[in-house]
Amino acid sequence: MFFHIVLERNMQLHPRHFGRDLRDKLVAKLMKDVEGTCSGRHGFIVAITGIESVGKGLIRDGTGFVTFPVKYQCVVFRPFKGEILEAVVTMVNKMGFFAEAGPVQIFVSNHLIPDDMEFQSGDMPNYTTSDGSVKIQKESEVRLKIIGTRVDATEIFCIGTIKDDFLGVISDPGATS
Amino acid sequence: MGEHCGTTMVRNASTSSSFCGSSLKRNMCPHPGVYAGMCMRCGQEMDDEFGVAFGYIHKKLRLASDEISRLRDKDLKNLLRDRKLYLILDLDHTLLHSAQFPDITVEEGYLHNQMDALPDNLKSSLFRVERMQMMTKLRPFVHSFLKEASNLFEMYIYTMGERPYALEMAKLLDPGDNYFSSRIIAQGDCTQRNQKGLDVVLGRESAVLILDDTEAVWGKHKENLLLMERYHFFASSCKEFGLNCKSLSQLKSDESETEGALPTVLKILQRIHNLFFDEERQNNLEDRDVRQVLKAVGKEVLKDCKVVFSRVFPTNFPAEQHTLWKMAEQLGATCSTEIDPSVTHVVSTDAGTYKSRWAVRENKYLVHPKWIEASKYMWRKQPEENFPISSHAKNK
Repeated sequence: MFFHIVLERNMQLHPRHFGRDLRDKLVAKLMKDVEGTCSGRHGFIVAITGIESVGKGLIRDGTGFVTFPVKYQCVVFRPFKGEILEAVVTMVNKMGFFAEAGPVQIFVSNHLIPDDMEFQSGDMPNYTTSDGSVKIQKESEVRLKIIGTRVDATEIFCIGTIKDDFLGVISDPGATS
Repeated sequence: MGEHCGTTMVRNASTSSSFCGSSLKRNMCPHPGVYAGMCMRCGQEMDDEFGVAFGYIHKKLRLASDEISRLRDKDLKNLLRDRKLYLILDLDHTLLHSAQFPDITVEEGYLHNQMDALPDNLKSSLFRVERMQMMTKLRPFVHSFLKEASNLFEMYIYTMGERPYALEMAKLLDPGDNYFSSRIIAQGDCTQRNQKGLDVVLGRESAVLILDDTEAVWGKHKENLLLMERYHFFASSCKEFGLNCKSLSQLKSDESETEGALPTVLKILQRIHNLFFDEERQNNLEDRDVRQVLKAVGKEVLKDCKVVFSRVFPTNFPAEQHTLWKMAEQLGATCSTEIDPSVTHVVSTDAGTYKSRWAVRENKYLVHPKWIEASKYMWRKQPEENFPISSHAKNK
């Protein structure tokens, strides 16, 4: 799920940046440091939408660096247990398939794939129903439910399932007749 | 924490009552495996050291032993239906040979030439891997080998090199990504230091064959191993292995494309495959053991030979425990410590011993121990006249 929230961060700036463009440089550094990172609480920081305030700078003892507390608005993405997501399949193997929803990597094990879908190996490994009507392969879009999440410094991992009603393939890139 | 008396709900108990599509409550889940620290079936947080790591499939994947067995059994059924078995391939000195730029000698300098200036046989088998500052030479016949073997086996790469190296080599051997896909196991995937193991292979041991030039790393799985003769192309490894001769690159030569190690071992693999899937046999495919077939094929090499050794074992060494004795037996020969009329070969390092002179007198074959090793690598009894003692004997 996406959220639009306000976060705060202490930005350290080298004296060579002090001058007319100080604020712009601060914002640029903030974007470089923060966009694309993850935190356990907020999830993946997708984009900064605005700066709410920049506090007074504090000179650090012993160095010339100055710390500015910056409040900024941003869009974050964080999956939750129980949430329904759409994802693109990136890899299929005997154990299940891996899919991506933006920066989030999801694993759906074969235990959580409907029993009537069997793994087929070959050039394009896939899971297919016995009548061949539904196929999950690389690049397929699937709707899945999150049953567990784990966040580390730069990545979010989830366990997913497609065993419930209304879950499964949305679109099949290699649809056969 | 809720009205769940009597059940041991863990700290992550979800506030929703959904059981995620499976009918098991979290505390009854068999936890078949873990992805990124979470059970792949119920989502519960699991120990970091749970089960066995299968990092080569995905860096965050771990599997429980029961699940590994289940996957192996299921996979075997599918594979046998396609008339295939498993083949694990080592890289260095088995399918190829690599050398770092600094280790290329002056005499090998011609290898740095532009591609059109290289001899024909090297144009398609010698590669520069700039980002690793090294050169790689593929063993002759390797592409044909892989193509043929892929019809009979699901193949793995298993190297003691590091993952980035393994992936680069896989690109050279399998540019179309047809043979290996994610089945590339490197040093970091081994569960024991300096040992390769089938514990990280998703195939049942009774259906796995291994091709490797080093026996010692396969301590627990010697019965699955076809030992390959080492491929030394660059001079660097001749030094490394203490070989006092010029390398193929220095001699501007190469292994034979038609009679080298790879075409030879391919024929043996095809033979083993045929025997395994032989319809004449009574038992079910799933009950067959490829290790038995390998053993039987090995025993054909020196069958009908009765061997006596002379000046080969140290005195007071129990002969039956010597490597050469055991090797000869594995090749189907009968070994004995005493000569008698049924003996066919005397294996010796000294033409002057009593047994050696007896062999000459009685018209038996008198050969250097290398005859046994050569027969083993070539999977065929070698012509005895190619292994006289005199050219190998130590001077008294």
